[in-house]
Amino acid sequence: MRAVSAENLSKIYIGGNKAVNDISFCLEKGEIFGFLGPNGAGKTTTIKLLCGMLIPSGGICRVFDIDPVSNPEKLHQISGVITEHAQMYDHLSGMDNLIFYGTLFGMNRVDCEKRAKALLERLDLTEAQHHKLSAYSTGMRQRLSLARALMHSPEILFLDEPTSGLDPESAQNVNTLIQELAADGTTIFLCTHQLRYAQEICTTYGLMNRGNLFAAGTIEKLRSMVSDKVKVRVKASRIPEDMEHQKTGESVYDIDVASEREVPLIVKRIVEAGGDIYQVSAKQMSLEEIYFSLIDRNHAEMEGGNL
Amino acid sequence: MNTRQLALIKKDIRSITSNKQVLMVMLMVPLALTIVLPSVLVLVTVMAPDSASDFQKMLSMVSFLSEEPDQQQMILWLMLNKIMPAFFLLIPIMASSVMAASSFVGEKEKHTLETLLYSPLSLKQLFQSKILAGFSVGMMVSYISFAAMILVLEMEMLFLNGSMIMPDIGWLLIMLLIAPAVSLVAIAVTVRGSAKAQTIEEAQQRAVFLIFPILALVIGQFSGVILVNSGLLLGLGVVLAVLAVLLMRGAARSFTYEKLLK
Repeated sequence: MRAVSAENLSKIYIGGNKAVNDISFCLEKGEIFGFLGPNGAGKTTTIKLLCGMLIPSGGICRVFDIDPVSNPEKLHQISGVITEHAQMYDHLSGMDNLIFYGTLFGMNRVDCEKRAKALLERLDLTEAQHHKLSAYSTGMRQRLSLARALMHSPEILFLDEPTSGLDPESAQNVNTLIQELAADGTTIFLCTHQLRYAQEICTTYGLMNRGNLFAAGTIEKLRSMVSDKVKVRVKASRIPEDMEHQKTGESVYDIDVASEREVPLIVKRIVEAGGDIYQVSAKQMSLEEIYFSLIDRNHAEMEGGNL
Repeated sequence: MNTRQLALIKKDIRSITSNKQVLMVMLMVPLALTIVLPSVLVLVTVMAPDSASDFQKMLSMVSFLSEEPDQQQMILWLMLNKIMPAFFLLIPIMASSVMAASSFVGEKEKHTLETLLYSPLSLKQLFQSKILAGFSVGMMVSYISFAAMILVLEMEMLFLNGSMIMPDIGWLLIMLLIAPAVSLVAIAVTVRGSAKAQTIEEAQQRAVFLIFPILALVIGQFSGVILVNSGLLLGLGVVLAVLAVLLMRGAARSFTYEKLLK
C-alpha cells in the first residue's frame, strides 16, 4: 500500500486562483519527501488537500488508501500535521497542551503524560514543560508543535516548515528526529525552504512552482535533469593547456567530467604534464543549485508559454 | 458524547475562566441584572412614602386580587415575578453568546481551530462539543445568577419589609424551558455567523439582535400591552425551543473544513 498517491490533483479557489494544477505523485511508506517551491507555489494547499481540509477541484488523492474527502477523521487518526496556522493554547502549559491533544486522539491520561514527557525531553523542552505557552519563544512553540503532532505516534507526518524559527542546533535536533522517525517507518511529507536541511534528510523530492509539480524524484534524478556532469576542483601549480577548464582562483581550476571515474585520469594528466597537485575535490550539484537551475528553467518555460 | 468531546468541553470552559476580560463581562452583567437592579427596586419601594404614589388606587383596580394587598408587598411581588423575568433572560443570551463566540471565532482568531480540525473528531462532534460548552456555561451562569438573586432579594425583603415573597411558577418555566431555549438560540445565531466572522466581537454582535425581543417584552410589560404570565412564558418557551432546533440544524449543515479555515 502506498503512503500517499495523488492523481491529477487540482485546486481552484473561489475567484479563479489555480493553487494546485493537475499534479500527480506517489510516496512509499518510510519516505521523507521534500516538497519544495517558492511562497505561493501551492505546497500548503497540497497538504490541506491531502489532509481533507480542502475539497479538490479535480483529481483524487489517497493517504494510506484513505480518501481524505470522504473519511477525514480516519485519516487524522493516523496523521500528524504541522502548519503555520495550527497553533496551540497560550493559556495552557506545554505539558497540558500535549495532554489535551493526546486526549483528542483517544489516548488516556496516563499514556498522554508518559508520551508527552518523552517527547518534551527529546525536543529539549523538559524545563519549560509547566510554563504557559504564552511564555514560549517561536522556536520552543515550533518544537512543541512537533511534539503535538507526534503525540499519537502517527503513520504519516505532514510538516510545513518545521524548522522555521529554530536555531541551527534545534533545527539539527529536529532533523535527526525526523530521520529517526522515517527509519522506524513513519512517512514524512516535508515542505521547506531550507534546501540544505532538505538535502540532508529527504529521500525524494517534489518541486512546485505556480501550482505545477515540474520535477519529482531522487536527487540523482533531479540532478540528471540539470546536468550529468561532475565538477572537479583542482588546486595545482599548472594544468595541461589542452584540458578544458575554468580558472576560479589562484592556481584553482574547475573541470567538468562525465563521472567521478574520470577524476584519476585528470590527476594523472596533470602530473604527467609536470604540474604539482595540492588539492582535488569532486563536487556534485547541490540540491540548492539544482533547485535554482530547475526553477529558473520552469519560470522561463512558463513565460515562454505565456507569450 | 465521548471522552474526546468531554476533553474539548472542559478545555473550552477552562479557556473562559482563565480569560479575565471575558470572565468580567460574564460576571458584571448578571451582577447588575440580578443583584444591583432588583436591590435598587426593593430599596426604592421600601423607602418611598406610600402617599407619594397612586399605586394603591391602581392596585384596587386589579380584579384578580381577592384580598386587600399590602402596597409594598404587591410592588415587590410584581417586581420579582413580572419585571425581573424579562431582564433575567438577558443573562443566558449574553453568557451563551460570549462563550460561543469565544470558543468558535476565538479559536479561529488565535489559530488554534486548524489544529482542532486535524484531530480525529468529526465536524459534527466538534460542533456538538462547542455548543455544549457554550450551553453549559450559559446555564451555569443563569442558575447561579437566579440563586444569588433570590437569596439577596429575599434577605433584603426580610430585613426591610419583614416578610418574604416567593417566586411564582413562571420562574420554573423560565429556568427549565425559556432560559435553555434562548441560550441555544443565542449560541446558534453566534455560531452561524462565526464561519464568516474574523473576530470575537464580530461574532457576538449577531446575538445582540436577540436583545430586541426581550426589550419589547420589558417595554410591553411596563406599558401594559403585554402581561408576563405562565401562558405567555410557556408559548415563548416552545417557540424558542423550536427556533433553537431549526437554527442548530442549519448551522451544523453549513459547516465544512474549507469554510472554517477561511
